Amino acid sequence: MSVLEARDLVVEFRQRGGGTLRAVDHVSFGLEKGETLALVGESGSGKSTVVRTLARLERSSAGAVLLDGQSAGRHGRGLRAYRKRVQLIFQDPFASLNPMHTVRYHLARPLLRLHPGGGRSRLDASIADLLESVNLAPAAEIARKHPHELSGGQRQRVAIARALASSPDVLLADEPVSMLDVSIRLEILNLLDRLKRERNLALLYVTHDLATARHFSSQIMVMYRGEIVERGPADEVILRPSHPYTQLLASAAPDPGVPREQLAAARRAREAVRAAAASTAGTAAERRELLVGEGCRFLLRCPHAMDTCVTQPPDVLVGADHHALCWLYADGGKPGA
Amino acid sequence: MSTDVILRVEHVSVEYVGPRPTRAVRDVSFELRRGEVLGIAGESGCGKSTLAFALAKMLRPPAGMTGGSVSFTPAGGTALDVVALYGEELRRFRWSEVSMVFQSAMNALNPVTTIGRQFSDIFAAHAPSMDAAARTRRARELLAKVGIDPVRARSFPHELSGGMRQRVVIAMALALEPELVIMDEPTTALDVVVQREILDEIERLREELGFAVIFITHDMSLLLEVSDRLAVMYAGQFVEYAPAEQVATAPAHPYTKGLLGSFPDMRGARRELHGIPGTPPDLRDDFAGCPFAPRCAYVFDPCATVPPGLRELPGRNGWLAACHLHDPAYGAPGFPSLEMTR
Repeated sequence: MSVLEARDLVVEFRQRGGGTLRAVDHVSFGLEKGETLALVGESGSGKSTVVRTLARLERSSAGAVLLDGQSAGRHGRGLRAYRKRVQLIFQDPFASLNPMHTVRYHLARPLLRLHPGGGRSRLDASIADLLESVNLAPAAEIARKHPHELSGGQRQRVAIARALASSPDVLLADEPVSMLDVSIRLEILNLLDRLKRERNLALLYVTHDLATARHFSSQIMVMYRGEIVERGPADEVILRPSHPYTQLLASAAPDPGVPREQLAAARRAREAVRAAAASTAGTAAERRELLVGEGCRFLLRCPHAMDTCVTQPPDVLVGADHHALCWLYADGGKPGA
Repeated sequence: MSTDVILRVEHVSVEYVGPRPTRAVRDVSFELRRGEVLGIAGESGCGKSTLAFALAKMLRPPAGMTGGSVSFTPAGGTALDVVALYGEELRRFRWSEVSMVFQSAMNALNPVTTIGRQFSDIFAAHAPSMDAAARTRRARELLAKVGIDPVRARSFPHELSGGMRQRVVIAMALALEPELVIMDEPTTALDVVVQREILDEIERLREELGFAVIFITHDMSLLLEVSDRLAVMYAGQFVEYAPAEQVATAPAHPYTKGLLGSFPDMRGARRELHGIPGTPPDLRDDFAGCPFAPRCAYVFDPCATVPPGLRELPGRNGWLAACHLHDPAYGAPGFPSLEMTR
C-alpha cells in the first residue's frame, strides 16, 4: 500500500471577478516507501500546488490525501502528527532558512518540539547526526553558523537536515536544485537518493528537468494544466513518450550529442509545425494563453489534434504500467484502469 | 561565417574595488568573427557577466577595467577602441553596434508603460530622424519578427507571459540592427519548451540578419548546441577555448569535463553521476598555481605551484586549454581517460 496517497485531488482558486481557476484537476497517485516519483511539467502546470496540498499548506476543494490509508488531519493534533511524517523541501534555500538564526537553531526547534526532554547533550548529538547524514562536516562548526555564512548547496543541505529532523516517511522536494549552481546540483540529488535508500523514504521529486527526473526516479508523472497527462516507468516515459506534450518536452530539451545539420533540420521542422499551428490559432507565443473547455487541454498546441479532441480524452494504457491521457491511443491501446 | 574579426579582446582584467579587490576577470583574450556565436560557460561567480559588461563598456563602480583592450570593427568601418569611448560616441556605439539581453530580461522592461512606448524611446534616443509613425511601424515590425502579435505594442509588460517578455526584450536588442548581441542567460528563467522556441527564434534571426552573438549561460548542454566556439571560464580566466562541436566528446580541461558531467544525459545509458566537488575559489585571492587544482581529480606536481597558461593543444588548431596535463614540459600526460563516452 502507498504510504501517501492523493485520491482524486482537486484544488481550485477563486479569482478576482468571480471565476475559479482549477489548478489541480482530479489528480491521483501514490508514493511508495523507498521509491522516487518525479512530477514534471512547465511552470503554471500545477506541480507546486500538488506539493503544497500534500503538505497541507493548501486546501483541496475535493478529493483526499491519505497517509497509510487514513485521511490526513487538517488541524490540531492530527495535522501535527501528519506533518511529522510528511516533510517538505523548498526550492530556494536562500528564503527557506531564517537569516537571524543559526543552523543549530533551525535543527533544534523540530527536535525539541517532537522529542522534548533528554537534555542538551542528547540534542547536540542529534544535531550532529543530522548534519553528518547530509554530509555537512565538521558538524559543531556548521551548527554555529548563520545561513549567510553558507553556500547555496550547504544551505539546501541544512534544509534537508531540518526536514529529516522529525524522521519523516515522506519527503516532498519541490524543485530542490533549480536555484543551485550546476556543479552542485548532482551532489544534492545524489544525497536525496542516498537518504531515500538509507531511510526508506517515499520521495516526490518535482522538477522541470526531464534528464534528472529520469535518472533519479523510478516513475514519472507529466503534468499539464492541472492534469496528469502521462505516467509510467521513468525510462519508458522519457525514451518512449506517448502524449504529444511529453513528446514536445522531450524534443525541446537540449541534446548536445546531435550533429549540426541534424539540429538545423530539426529546427526547420519545428518552425514549420509552429507556423502551421499559428495560422489556425494566433501566433505561436500566444496560443498557450488560450483556454479550452471540456476537451484535451493540449489541443491548441497539439500537432496531432483531431475532431474527437474537443471531448474529454481517455486514460489509455500504452505500455507496461504506462498511461497516457490522449485520444491518439484510444483504438490501439487498451482502456486504462 | 567570415574570417574577419568583429571584436578583438586582449588581456582584459576587471576588478571590483574593496579592501581586498575582487579580481573577477583575469587576463582574458579572444577574437570573435563576424556572425560567429561564442558561448561562455562557467559556474556562478566565475566572471562571465562581468566580462560581458566589460566588453560593452557597461561596468559601473565598484567594478572597473584594470587592463587590456577591446576593439570593435563594424562592417566596412575602422576599428573602434571600445575602452576609450565616451560621451556621444559611446552612446552611439551601445545598442546600434552592440546590444545586450540581460539576465532576467523579463524584469528589464518598464512595468508602468506600454511595450510600444518603450520601443519608441529607443528610436527617440538613437534614431531621432524617425517620426512617430515610422517608430510605431518599426516597433510592430520587430514584434512580428520575434513571433509576437503586433497589437501587443499596446500591452503592458505584466500582460505578457515570461516567454513573451523575453521575446520583446530580444526584439528590443535587435531594434537598431546591431552587429553583436551579448546574451547573458537569456533563457534561464524559462521552461524548456519556451526556451526551445526562443533559441530557434534567435537562430532564425541570426541567419536572417547575420549578427554575432556572445551567449552566456551555465547550461553546458544548451551552449554546446548553440555555439560555434565555446569558452569555459573559471576563476575569472578562460581555461578552455574550443570548437563547440568537438569539445562535447573530448574536453581538454578537467573543469570542462566536470561541467559536462554535471548534466545527466537525457537519452543515454544511466550512469553514476557526480558534480564537481568543492566550491569555486575566492576571487580576492591570488593563486600560486592552477585555481582549479583543489577541486581537480587529475591534479599532479606542478599544479600547486605553476599557473598554467592558455596554450594551443598539440595538433589542434584554435583549441586552447590552460592545463598542465597538456603541457609537453611535463610530458603532456593527458587525462588517464580523456574520452567521454556519450
